Amino acid sequence: MQDNYLAKWLNDDLTEAELVEFKKSEAFETYQKIKESTSQLESPEFDMDKAWGTIDQHKTKDETKVLILSPFKTFLRIAAVIAVLLAGSFFYLSTLNESYTTAYAENKAITLPDSSEVILNAESELAFSEKKWNENRNVNLKGEAYFKVAKGKKFTVATSQGLVTVLGTQFNIETREDYFEVTCFEGLVSVTINDKETKLPAGNSLVTINGNSIMSKAIVNSAPSWLSKESSFESVPLHYVMDELQRQYDIEVTTKEIDTDELFTGTFSNDNLELALKSISVPLQIKFNLEGNKVLFYAEKAPK
Amino acid sequence: MAKSNPLKAEEHINVCEEQVYKRVFNETSKTIFNYIYYKFGNEEKANDAVQEAFVKLWENCAKVPPAKAKSYLYTVANNLYLNVLKAEKIRLKYADSTLKTTNESPEFIMEENQFKEKLDNALNSLPENQLTTFLLSRIDGKKYAEIAEIENVSVKAIEKRMHLALKSLREQIDGI
Repeated sequence: MQDNYLAKWLNDDLTEAELVEFKKSEAFETYQKIKESTSQLESPEFDMDKAWGTIDQHKTKDETKVLILSPFKTFLRIAAVIAVLLAGSFFYLSTLNESYTTAYAENKAITLPDSSEVILNAESELAFSEKKWNENRNVNLKGEAYFKVAKGKKFTVATSQGLVTVLGTQFNIETREDYFEVTCFEGLVSVTINDKETKLPAGNSLVTINGNSIMSKAIVNSAPSWLSKESSFESVPLHYVMDELQRQYDIEVTTKEIDTDELFTGTFSNDNLELALKSISVPLQIKFNLEGNKVLFYAEKAPK
Repeated sequence: MAKSNPLKAEEHINVCEEQVYKRVFNETSKTIFNYIYYKFGNEEKANDAVQEAFVKLWENCAKVPPAKAKSYLYTVANNLYLNVLKAEKIRLKYADSTLKTTNESPEFIMEENQFKEKLDNALNSLPENQLTTFLLSRIDGKKYAEIAEIENVSVKAIEKRMHLALKSLREQIDGI
């Protein structure tokens, strides 16, 4: 008998002679029964559809993995990315804000799409979206500007320190570091600072210094003083006045032994430096020294 | 029942293609189920193994050539329970052939049932690799060469397992 003859027998691979010999063995009967019985054996039910269902679900979850990259598809992908970038940048550029800035000692008059007028004071920035102007009249302001708003929908000025909303009026906004001033010349202005809304009627100013708001009657004509080449202050800490002087004349202002928190009330000219320096120094009884574009304010030595 | 591997002729075809993948599933899933069931005697494990193997095949469809898909599936299914010891007895049914032979005497039927019980016990006392090989051959009709591929051993080794399985089944049944 050859090796593993039982395996060969099951497979009908035995030679005639081997088969005859095998059949003669006493074990053959049991082997035959095993062969017959095991041919009737069945394995447990396997639900193929159910199994496929679960696998199919898994598959669709990671469907991205199936994408076969043909060179043409790669080209399409690159093309798609470029198209998206182009469309995106076009959209971005077209919605980009119009923006105007002024440098030291510079004023600029801007006419908005609805013919509202804005005059930017020195070192300020105004931005708005021309595309979206019909949906909302929103402008962003840094620095100081005077607004003459045409009647119409709500007009909003957003600054880093608060929101100013109006329907149609004339008002001035000044934001400088922690100084925020809104003066209403006509109509009614709503000022929102830290979610707190203040209604500001014509002829009033709202000044916020370091988060403290004070509403006061403004010395108001029909427009802010800086439009008539003057800067006016009422109970404003001196250092803000110095800052304004610096902006209006593009000079460097330094002080020596002077309390710059002292409140200043007064006006200085925006087109005559000598006069402006006197307007500040005389009422405060201090002295100044002008050298080139540098000004030093210093305390007048107390007379003996 | 047993077919030669029809995928071999289409080696340029990718398993990532739905049709190819589905065909591999149709041809292989039941055998994988049985294979794991013979090894562990647990239907749940067998079902999980089928799922695991085919999900893995899908994830790696680009890397597995269609001709290798089947052995890949068996390897994954097998590795899943690498550290699991066989703890359960397998339970197999018999196709009800007795119904067709109702003229058999009650004695004969009783004898037949006794034989089947002995066979069941004998099967469950076989070493795992002999049992799996034996059942893949007897139930799934797999050729020795196919079983050799599934088990990743030589045909000679499969023949040896078959021979030894038959031998110990007979010895158990005849009480030798």
